[in-house]
Amino acid sequence: MKREGRTALSVGGVLIAFGMAFILISELLQPKYMTELEEGSFISQYYREAGGHDVIFLGDCEVYANYSPMELYRDYGITAYIRGTPQQLVWMSYYIAEETFQYETPRVLVFNVNAMRYSEPVSEAYNRLTIDQMRWSPSKTGIILASMTEEEQFLSYVFPILRYHSRFDKLTQEDFTYLFRVRDNTCNGFQLHTETVPAGTLPAKRILPDYQFGDICCEYLDKLRLLCEEKGTELVLVKAPSLYPYWYEEYDVQIRKYAAKYGISYYNFVEQSDEIGLDFSKDTYDGGYHLNLQGAGKLSRYFGRILKEEHGLPDRRLDAEIAPVYDKKLQEYDRIVEERTGDKR
Amino acid sequence: MMINTILFLAGLAVYAGYGISALYLLGVTLFGYLAGRLIPKYRFVMWISVFLQACLLLLLRVRHLLPFSSVIVPVGISYFTLQIIAYHVDLYRGRYEPEKNILRFGLFVTWLPHLFIGPIEPYPRMRDALNARRISRDDFTKGAVRSLWGLFQKLVIAARLDVIVSAISADPKQFRGAYALVAMLFYSVQLYADFSGGIDIVLGISRMFGIRMSENFDAPFFSQSVAEFWRRWHITLGDWLREYVYIPLGGSRRGKWRKFLNTMAAFLVSGIWHGSGYLLWGLLHGVFVFCGDRWKTKSRTGNRIVTFLLVSFLWSFFIWPDTVSALRMAGSVFTVFNYDAFFSGISGMGLGAGDWIVLGISCLLLWLYDWKSRCLKKRFCTFSPAAKVGVICVLTLIILTFGMYGIGFSASEFIYSRF
Repeated sequence: MKREGRTALSVGGVLIAFGMAFILISELLQPKYMTELEEGSFISQYYREAGGHDVIFLGDCEVYANYSPMELYRDYGITAYIRGTPQQLVWMSYYIAEETFQYETPRVLVFNVNAMRYSEPVSEAYNRLTIDQMRWSPSKTGIILASMTEEEQFLSYVFPILRYHSRFDKLTQEDFTYLFRVRDNTCNGFQLHTETVPAGTLPAKRILPDYQFGDICCEYLDKLRLLCEEKGTELVLVKAPSLYPYWYEEYDVQIRKYAAKYGISYYNFVEQSDEIGLDFSKDTYDGGYHLNLQGAGKLSRYFGRILKEEHGLPDRRLDAEIAPVYDKKLQEYDRIVEERTGDKR
Repeated sequence: MMINTILFLAGLAVYAGYGISALYLLGVTLFGYLAGRLIPKYRFVMWISVFLQACLLLLLRVRHLLPFSSVIVPVGISYFTLQIIAYHVDLYRGRYEPEKNILRFGLFVTWLPHLFIGPIEPYPRMRDALNARRISRDDFTKGAVRSLWGLFQKLVIAARLDVIVSAISADPKQFRGAYALVAMLFYSVQLYADFSGGIDIVLGISRMFGIRMSENFDAPFFSQSVAEFWRRWHITLGDWLREYVYIPLGGSRRGKWRKFLNTMAAFLVSGIWHGSGYLLWGLLHGVFVFCGDRWKTKSRTGNRIVTFLLVSFLWSFFIWPDTVSALRMAGSVFTVFNYDAFFSGISGMGLGAGDWIVLGISCLLLWLYDWKSRCLKKRFCTFSPAAKVGVICVLTLIILTFGMYGIGFSASEFIYSRF
C-alpha cells in the first residue's frame, strides 16, 4: 500500500509538472497582441474595466476608431466602453453583448450596423482577433461555434497550442515581456490615431448582385434586440461616417425599416457628416476609412449630445464614485494626446 | 467477445467515413470468410479467390489506362487483399483450420489501426493475438510511448522534410541537379519517418489494446546491402513476397538463373503492388537484391552509405510523377552542377531556421533510436512508473510544440496509405 501510494504521488507529481509546462508553453506561444496586431487584445481589456458603463458600443473598427468615450465623458459625463474588435460580425456582437450582460447592464447598447453586410465568416485570422482573448463562458463557446470557418477546429480554441505551436521559431521579445503581464493600449476601448491622411480616390462603387442582408445577420440582429429588451437596455443602431466600404442606400433602407418596425433609434452618420462638421481632408488617418482623434472627437461630441438629449443618459461628472475614476482616466487620456500631438488639453 | 464486436464495428464505422469503400471492405471480408470455410473441402476455391483478388488489384493499379479511371479505390485495399490471399493460400496448404468465428475473422481483416498501412499480418499471429488479448498496465504504457514516438516521426520529421521535397518536385525544370539529390535523400528519410512512424502508431495502439503485431522495420538505414535493406524495410511485405511468390516459384533451390528470375518476379509483384508506375523501381531493386553482397567492402559505414544512396536514388520513382521524369531527375544529379546555388535556394523553400534546427535534432534522435533501440527498450522497462509517465509527457509536449499539424496540414494522411 505504501509503495503504491508513493507511486501514485510521484505519478501525480509528474502529471502536475506536465500540466504546468503545457500551460506555460501554450501561453508563451500565443500571440500577445501588445505591439503587433494590438487589436487582438481589445476584447480582453474590458474585463479590467467591467462595470459602471452607461453605454456599451459593439462593432468592428468603425466603432473602436471613430468614437471616443473620453470625449463623451468630458462634454456630457457619459460613461461608455467600446467592445469593438476587428471585423466583428453580427453574431459576434450578439455573443459579446450576452457576455457583457454578465458583468453589467448598460442603459444603452450602441450597435454599428456595418457588419450586417457580412453573412459568412471572413477568415480564421479575424476570428482569432476577436475570440482568442475572451474569457471562457457559454458566450465564448457560442461565438466560436458561430464563427468557425471550415478549416478550423473547436479544440484549437480550447487548447491554443494546437493553433499556435508553429510560432515556436517566431517568438519575439513581446512574447516574453507580456507572458505574465498585460498593457492597456486603448482608452475605454478607443484606439487613438493622431496622424492625418486625407481622403483621396476611393475604390469604385460596385453594383452588387444582391443587397439583401443574409438570414443569419437578421437572425442575430433580432436576438440582439430581444436580449436588450430582456435586460431593459435600449438598443441604438448607428452607421459610422466611414467613406468606405460604401454604405449602400439599399442597406440603409433595410435598417430603417427594421428600426421603424421595432421602434429603435437609428443614426446614419454617413449622411450627417456635414452636420457633424467632419472634414475628410483633416479628420481621417487612412484616407476616409476611419476617423482620427480630431474626427472621433467631433463625432463623439455630436453623438454625445444625442445620447444625452434623446436617450436621457445621466451626467456622471458629479457622481461621487464614478467621477474620481473617470477624471483620472481623462487626465491620462489627455496626457497621451499631448504626448502624441503636442496639444495641451 | 463483446470487445471484439465493438472493435470490429468501430473499424467499420471509421472506414465508413470513406463512403462506398466500407461496403467493399464488408463484402471482401464476407467473401474471405466464406471462401475460407470452403477451401479445405473445395480446394479450387483458393485459385478463384487468388485470381479474383489479384485481378482486382491489378485492374485498380492500371485503372488510369482504362475507361473506369474515376472509380474509387478503397483505402488500404492492397493490405487487406494480401492478407486474405495469404489466408486462403495457407488454408489450401493445410497449415491451419479456417476461422469459424466471423467476428474474429472480420477483426483480422478490419483491425482498424493496421487497415490503412499494415503491417500485413499473417492470420495465425493475429488469431493468437486476439485470443490472448489482455490489457495490462505495462502494455498500455509501452504502447502509448510507441504511438507517441510514431507521431513524433510523422509530425516532426516527415512533415518538415515534405515541405522541401514537395517544393523541389513541384518544379522539375527549375529544381534539378543538387536539388534532385537533396530531394531523393530527404525523401528517403521522410518516407521512413512517415511509414515507420505510422507503423509505430499502429503497433503502439494495438499494444495498448493488448494485441502484439509484427514488426515492419528494423533500422533499415543500417543495412549494408540492398538485400539486407529488404530484410529490414517493410518486413511483412518482404515476408509475404517470399512466402507466396518467391518460394512457390522455387526460390533459390533451382539454380542461379531460376533464383534470378524468381527474385525478379517477386520484385515485379512488389512494383505492381505499389502501382503501375513502379515496375522499373521494383525490377531495379530486384537486380540489386540478386546481386546481394557482391559489392560489399570491408567498411561497414561505407556499405551503409552506398546502400542508403542506392535506395535513395531509387525513391526517385516515388517523388516525380512518372518514370521518365524520375530517370531524368536522377540523371541530372550527375549532369547539372548547381551546388553553389543550392544552399541559397533551399533556405527559401518554406522552412525557417528554427525548423532546420528541430529537423536536425530530430533526425539525430531517430538515428540514435534506430542504433540503440533494443538497449533503449530494455532501459525503459527498468523505469519507475513516474519516469514512464514522464517520458509520455515529454513526448507529448514535443509533438504538440514542434509537430507540423493543424490548418493546411492533414495529419491523417500517410504516404503508404495510398497503396
